[in-house]
Amino acid sequence: MMSELRLRNDTLVEIFTFLARRWSETDETLVDFTKKNQAKTRLGEKRITIPNIDRYQGDNFHKYRQVRTALWYEAMRLRHCTKILSNDHAFGFILNTIETKRMERLGRMTWMGMDSELVFSYAFAINYRPHLNAIYGKARIVEAFYQAFLLGGIKGEIQPSHFERVQEAVSYADRILDEAVKDGHQTKWLEVRIPEIIKILDIDSLLTIPVSLPWMRQGMALTEAELLRSLAGIAKNREGDFGKIDPAVSLRGDDIYSEYSALVEEDKKNENHKLGTAGVGVLVPPTDGIDETVIYDRDLINRIKTRFKDWKSGWREQSLPHGDEFDEDGYVDGTQPFFTDVKMASRARIMILLDHSSSIASDHLEYKKATLALCEVLAYLKIEFSVYAFNTQNKAVICWMIKPARARWNNSTAKRLAGIAANGATPLAEVYDKMSPTIQAGKPEIFLTLTDGEPSDPDAVRSMVKSLKMTGIRMVALGLGPDIVRSTTIARNLGRLGYEKAISVSRLHDIPNKVMSILEHASSGTR
Amino acid sequence: MLAAQYLDWNNSMSTLNKAYESGLFVLIIGPKGTGKTSLVRGFAASKGGRLESINFSLRTRESHLVGAKTLTDGSVGFDEGVLIKSMRHGSMLYLDEINAAEADVLLRLDEALDDRRQVVLKESAGQVVQASDNWFVIATINPLTHVGTKELPPQILSRFPIRIRLDYPPEEVELEIVRRHVPDAEEAQIMRGIKLANILRQAAAVEELYYAPSLRETIAFAKLLECKVSAKNAAELVFGNVYAQWGNIEYQKVGDIITSMFEK
Repeated sequence: MMSELRLRNDTLVEIFTFLARRWSETDETLVDFTKKNQAKTRLGEKRITIPNIDRYQGDNFHKYRQVRTALWYEAMRLRHCTKILSNDHAFGFILNTIETKRMERLGRMTWMGMDSELVFSYAFAINYRPHLNAIYGKARIVEAFYQAFLLGGIKGEIQPSHFERVQEAVSYADRILDEAVKDGHQTKWLEVRIPEIIKILDIDSLLTIPVSLPWMRQGMALTEAELLRSLAGIAKNREGDFGKIDPAVSLRGDDIYSEYSALVEEDKKNENHKLGTAGVGVLVPPTDGIDETVIYDRDLINRIKTRFKDWKSGWREQSLPHGDEFDEDGYVDGTQPFFTDVKMASRARIMILLDHSSSIASDHLEYKKATLALCEVLAYLKIEFSVYAFNTQNKAVICWMIKPARARWNNSTAKRLAGIAANGATPLAEVYDKMSPTIQAGKPEIFLTLTDGEPSDPDAVRSMVKSLKMTGIRMVALGLGPDIVRSTTIARNLGRLGYEKAISVSRLHDIPNKVMSILEHASSGTR
Repeated sequence: MLAAQYLDWNNSMSTLNKAYESGLFVLIIGPKGTGKTSLVRGFAASKGGRLESINFSLRTRESHLVGAKTLTDGSVGFDEGVLIKSMRHGSMLYLDEINAAEADVLLRLDEALDDRRQVVLKESAGQVVQASDNWFVIATINPLTHVGTKELPPQILSRFPIRIRLDYPPEEVELEIVRRHVPDAEEAQIMRGIKLANILRQAAAVEELYYAPSLRETIAFAKLLECKVSAKNAAELVFGNVYAQWGNIEYQKVGDIITSMFEK
């Protein structure tokens, strides 16, 4: 069954980044995953951190729906909150609780299709919340407030006098929430009214809320009947907010299912591609907490895209003395009277190896911006390309897989590129040796090495280049240098190592243009 | 669709009027489907003059613009193109998507548009065609992000000293435009279609999607609503399904936006 298949985070990153940006109407929003149980949004950085999909309960489809809803809530916070406090203390916890409902109210004005999903997530949320009997001290009252306010009821027992206070606080909170939504008040307006709730509940505003509180029962399975019961309960409790929701329809989640299936398919593809490199010394760079937006240079990307736009259509019309189609106007005008569509795009498969040795460290950001722009443009032009990089960690050379040939270029691959540190020497022969199974499996037509130094093992490189060339791969090198003299020297030295072609680049942002010219040359050579 | 009167939401009409009175040619820049052609047609209609138009593409030749020699009953004649016709008659000339034209075509235009306002017809024995005094030219260009567009050379740009930037209108204006075309659809539902279109346009502007829906699409959405198609279904038909062209993931991304926006 499809729902038995688990999604990996790097498959989710692309669609979740897209959704978070569109839902919050905030471009440049970043999404990443955490092993913790709480979602967190940093407004200043526009960064949303949501719990890993495996932190949720239910089958994999249920997990996907919950994590998607969690993302929606955080996207709404990004859109509508002006301040997000920590959940560690009663004051922040209560403000965030009220804000959660404000997000629902405001968010649902645009995103009405979320109703069924919100109810579905609540059915699980009930299960995640702790039993009141299991909480000691005044934290119990705060939790009771949370449950009564958001879930419409409490789990377990609480002193009658405390319950009265909770009910009074809930009705006050609902009142101020109504007013805030009606009159368009923001977080600050609610914040100054939190002390009143603290007073009603008779607690200390700095009361510590144990971090273990949410999801105490994480991992406990729910049967379908229990889930349906939960759903029916929450649908009834929150009918005033969400209107009539059919629990059975909400449980099925038909609207989300096709999206989920497509993601699972994509995930399987990624998994298959990954197998080609597993166990041969090529690693996938970590992407947790990596901000890929710093290496996006939109200006550069657009400039190159504009320049190579003709490649996108794949064809360019040219007037020639002979050709496919006769042009009467051209004949009468006395110019060359035939049209011929000339193929522009290159079908050459290219594998790119990026040097991330320590010598590039000073220009690291510019280097990554240029190489990212290159990848964006190659993806835009639908050229089949793969990208690898190498650096040294603990004196051992590591080859990193940024993007295998058939995978899509997306936020996840950009994160990988952004995450690689510049470190170590340039032992190219060792790198080629490690990459050898990957190169053989990928069979690129062009293997391009971008490096800013001369390899520490020239003789070994010469023999590796020779043997790779024997297999029919065109070995090309791009020498990067700080100025024309230096870059030309590097390229000349690389040329002596047996590369079919060695080109020099002294300005990093010229990298994409140079690579494109290599492809252009390759395609005109094969036409 | 053309029957509806043009809604001049950003004073483009009055700018066009002033340019017309001063004899200054106008360039309108904006993405597709923002009503550039409707604006020009509306303006021409308000002036009551004749409008000659040409839509540029890679295949547009000089001869389409200037004219071509003909052979009738053994005698060679000359069939005038739109440029020459409009210059002679002093009518309005509309050059649509001028930045899709090839360089040689632009060169001929440049000759006509400079201060002398004349063209030497090498095709017709070097005859000199002088434009009438009230000859007026409006050109449009799509931003460079559109496939098939090229940067307009500076000398051509300078022939159009008045530049109007036409973007997608604000939501309430778009609603008003849609209402002019589809008066009977439910307003709240149209508004949601417009909101969806704007979300997709925003995504296309930062190149997260390959395609931005135009005003035509919001009008089509409203027309489906008028035919009693549900808002969600109409959104899928008009806005969502087109993204399947770029693969399943692109399609699902937009599908999710539609799912989260429209209840069943």
